[in-house]
Amino acid sequence: MAELWSNISAILPPNETRFPLQFSDKVESSVVDLLKQSRQQLYSDIANTSRVLNAQIILDISWEKLNTGTWRHVDKEWRRVYSYGCLFKVAALCRENPPSDVILQAIRTCDMGLLMGAAIMDNILHALVQILQSEVRKPTKEEDETEHIEAKKLKLECSHVPAIREDLAVPRIMCPSLESFKTNYLLPLKPVILEGIIDHWPALHQHPWSIEYLRSVAGCRTVPVEVGSRYTDEEWSQTLLTVNEFIDQYILNKDGVKSLGYLAQHQLFDQIPELKEDIRTPDYCCLGEGDDDDITVNAWFGPGGTVSPLHQDPQQNFLAQVAGSKYIRLYSPEDTEKLYPHPSQLLHNTSQVEVENPDKERFPEFATAPYVECVLQPGEVLFIPVRHWHYVRSLELSFSVSFWWS
Amino acid sequence: MLWFGFGFNAFGQIYDHDKLRLDGSEIKVMNPTEITRRVDRSDSRQKMHMKCSGIRASWSRRISLHLDGENCVCLAGFGAIPSSGYCGTYIEESFGCKDAFISESYLTLAFPERIECWNLKNNEKTRTWSMEIVTQSDSSGAPLNLPLVPGGYIAAKPPFYRSLSPQLKAKSLALGAEHVILLSATGAVYTWGLGSHGQLGHGDLTSEEEPRAVEALWGIPMSSVATGGWHSVCISAGGDLYVWGWNESGQLGLPSRALRKAQQQSSQKPEESSNREKNEEVFISIQAFPALLDITQCCEVRTVSCGSRHTAAVTTTGDLYTWGWGEYGQLGHQTLMSSDEPQRVDFFREQRMCVVDVVCGAWNTFAAVTMEEVSCTCNK
Repeated sequence: MAELWSNISAILPPNETRFPLQFSDKVESSVVDLLKQSRQQLYSDIANTSRVLNAQIILDISWEKLNTGTWRHVDKEWRRVYSYGCLFKVAALCRENPPSDVILQAIRTCDMGLLMGAAIMDNILHALVQILQSEVRKPTKEEDETEHIEAKKLKLECSHVPAIREDLAVPRIMCPSLESFKTNYLLPLKPVILEGIIDHWPALHQHPWSIEYLRSVAGCRTVPVEVGSRYTDEEWSQTLLTVNEFIDQYILNKDGVKSLGYLAQHQLFDQIPELKEDIRTPDYCCLGEGDDDDITVNAWFGPGGTVSPLHQDPQQNFLAQVAGSKYIRLYSPEDTEKLYPHPSQLLHNTSQVEVENPDKERFPEFATAPYVECVLQPGEVLFIPVRHWHYVRSLELSFSVSFWWS
Repeated sequence: MLWFGFGFNAFGQIYDHDKLRLDGSEIKVMNPTEITRRVDRSDSRQKMHMKCSGIRASWSRRISLHLDGENCVCLAGFGAIPSSGYCGTYIEESFGCKDAFISESYLTLAFPERIECWNLKNNEKTRTWSMEIVTQSDSSGAPLNLPLVPGGYIAAKPPFYRSLSPQLKAKSLALGAEHVILLSATGAVYTWGLGSHGQLGHGDLTSEEEPRAVEALWGIPMSSVATGGWHSVCISAGGDLYVWGWNESGQLGLPSRALRKAQQQSSQKPEESSNREKNEEVFISIQAFPALLDITQCCEVRTVSCGSRHTAAVTTTGDLYTWGWGEYGQLGHQTLMSSDEPQRVDFFREQRMCVVDVVCGAWNTFAAVTMEEVSCTCNK
C-alpha cells in the first residue's frame, strides 16, 4: 500500500522548483499564496491534516468562482485553480496508506477536477486517476452472473414499441461512399440511417458493451446524471453519481427508485480514455470543415423510457447505436413554426410539444408538420442534419454515442 | 462596543496566528474571538485606537474603521503585517476618510471630496483610480454609504463608477457575486445582474441589465438590504426578514436538500435518514420570489448581513442568529456544521453580551456587542 504514494510521487515533479504554478491576473494573489503554500507542503514534512485543509480552501474558493457568472464565461484560470486544488487534495489523501474508501474519495476528487477543472501539468489528473483505479479493481464472478440475468430481464421488458409507417420511415443505406453520402444526404440535408459503418467497433464485437464491462472499466468513476422524465420538466435536475451507483439506482432499480436517470450528453470518452478505444469517429466526418479536435463525442446511457424532448442542435450529428434501441422522430427546420419552440432564450432550441402526446388545443399546427421516424438498432448510425428537429425515446436499456461535427 | 469574529481565518483576518503552523483551529475559528483586544507595544509609532466604529471584510482581509475625529482604517489579513497593532496595520492613505469598502482586489476609500480605489494586488498599494465628488446642494437626508456615491455606486472591479438614475432615489446598495440590490428612499427594492440562482427575486431565472423593482415586495416598505454570493435579504420597516436566491447551503433558512444529503453522507444524522420518508419534505434549492423568514417568534430583526453562503441577523433584543454554510465556523455555534435553520449564537447570551451589529466577510462573521443590558428589551 505504501506503493501507492511512491507511484503517485513518481508522476509528480521531483521538487518544489520544478512544480509549475503560473496564473494570470484573474486569480487574486491571496489565492496564489495558498497555492504556493500547498506546493511547499507537498515537499515538506508537516501534519497531513494541514495539507488536506489547505487543499480544501483552494477547492472551496475556486468552486465559488466556477459558480459565478455563466459557465461559458468562467475564466479558464479558475478552472485550473480548481484542478490544482483537486491535485493537492488527492496527494494529501493518498499520502499515508489510505483505506479503500479514501481511495474512492480520491478518485471522485480526480473526477471533479476532470469534470469541472481545466487540464494542468500535462493532464496529470488523468494519470492520477488511473493509478488510483488500479488500486481498487476487484471484480467478483458471482456479481457478474446475477447482473447478467438482471440485464437480460430488462431486455425483455421493452417499452411500448411504436410501429413505423413505411411512408414515414427514415431511408436506409448500406456503407455508402463518401461521395454518395455527400451528394444524396449531407448537401441536401436529408436524414438517413447508415448501416454497416460501425461493424468494426470493438464496442460491438471484441469488447461488447455490457453492464458488467462498464462496471469493470468505469464503475468507481463519477459522472453527471440527469434525473427526471425530461429536461423541460420542473422536477428535472442533475446530480453526480459513480457509474456503479447510476447502474444500481437507475438501471437495475435496486433501491426501488421511481424516477428516471439518464447519463446524457456527457463527454465520457475524454474522462475515461479506455472506452474511447472501443469506438471510432465515422469517416464521413471528414466531409466537414473542422479538425478531429472539433468533433464533440457524447455518451448517452440509460434505461428504457428516457426521453430527449424535440429539439435542434447547431451542428451535424451522427448518432451511433451501440446497445438497445431507440425510437426517433425527425422534423425539418423548414417547419419550425409548427413545432412551437419555447419563447425563452434558455430553451429556444426546444419545442414545447410532447411529441408522443401532443396538446392539440395549445399546438394545433403540430399535427400538420411532416416528419420521418425510425427505431434505431445496435450497429446503426442515424445522420441528423444540422438544425433538424429530433425527438428520442429509448425503448429499452440503451447506449448511444453521438458525434457533433460541422 | 467590542467586536468579535469567528469563521475563516487562514490569513489572520480575525486574529493573527503563526502562518507556518496552519493549525486547523486557527484557520477555522469556531469560538467567537474578540478582535479589539489591547496589545502591549513599546513601539508607539503606530496609532492605537480604542474605538472601532465599523468593520468591512472580504474573503482574505478585514478592515476596521475608526471614525472618531482622526479618521482612518486598519487592515488585517492577507498582506497585513502580523501582530502589528491593536486591530491591524494602519493604512496611511486612509487618513481623513469618512467611509471605506473592501473587496478581494481593491480598497475603496470615501473622502469628503473624492473617492479613491486602491489596488491591493501583491500587497503593494497602488492608487488605481479616483474621482472627485461634487457635494450635492440639496443634501437629501442621510449621507450615502459605500458602495453608494453621489450619482451612482462603486463596483468591485473596473469600470469602478457606475451611474444610477436619480429616480431610483438610492439609499443603500449591496453587491453580490453576480448581482446588485438597491434600496430606495421610498422603501422599494430594486435588483439587477445575473438571475440564474433566483437572486433577483422576480420569480424566474432570467438576468436583468437595468434595475428592476421587486414587485412581490411592493407596498411593504423595506429599511435595509444585504446580499450574499448568490442570495438577497431585506428587512421591512416592521422588522420582518425576507430572503430569496440560492439555498444550496441553507443560506435562506429554508429546507435544503443538498445540505441534508451532504450531512447524511458524512453520517452526521444516521437516525433521521432512515426514519424520514424521502419525498415527504419540500426542499428548496432556488427561491426565485421573496419569502418571509421567521427567525424567532418574539422579536424583530434589527440588522442583517450575508457572507458568500451564510446569513447573520441581529434582533432588536440583542440576539444574533445565523444559518447557512458553516464549514469554517462562520455560524458561531462552535461546530463546523452548516444549517438550514436559523439558530441563535448562544455564546453572546452566555457572556451576557448584547449584540448590536453584524458584518460578514465571505466566510466569516463579525459581531459588535455591548455589555449594557439596557438596549436589550426582551429576556428570552
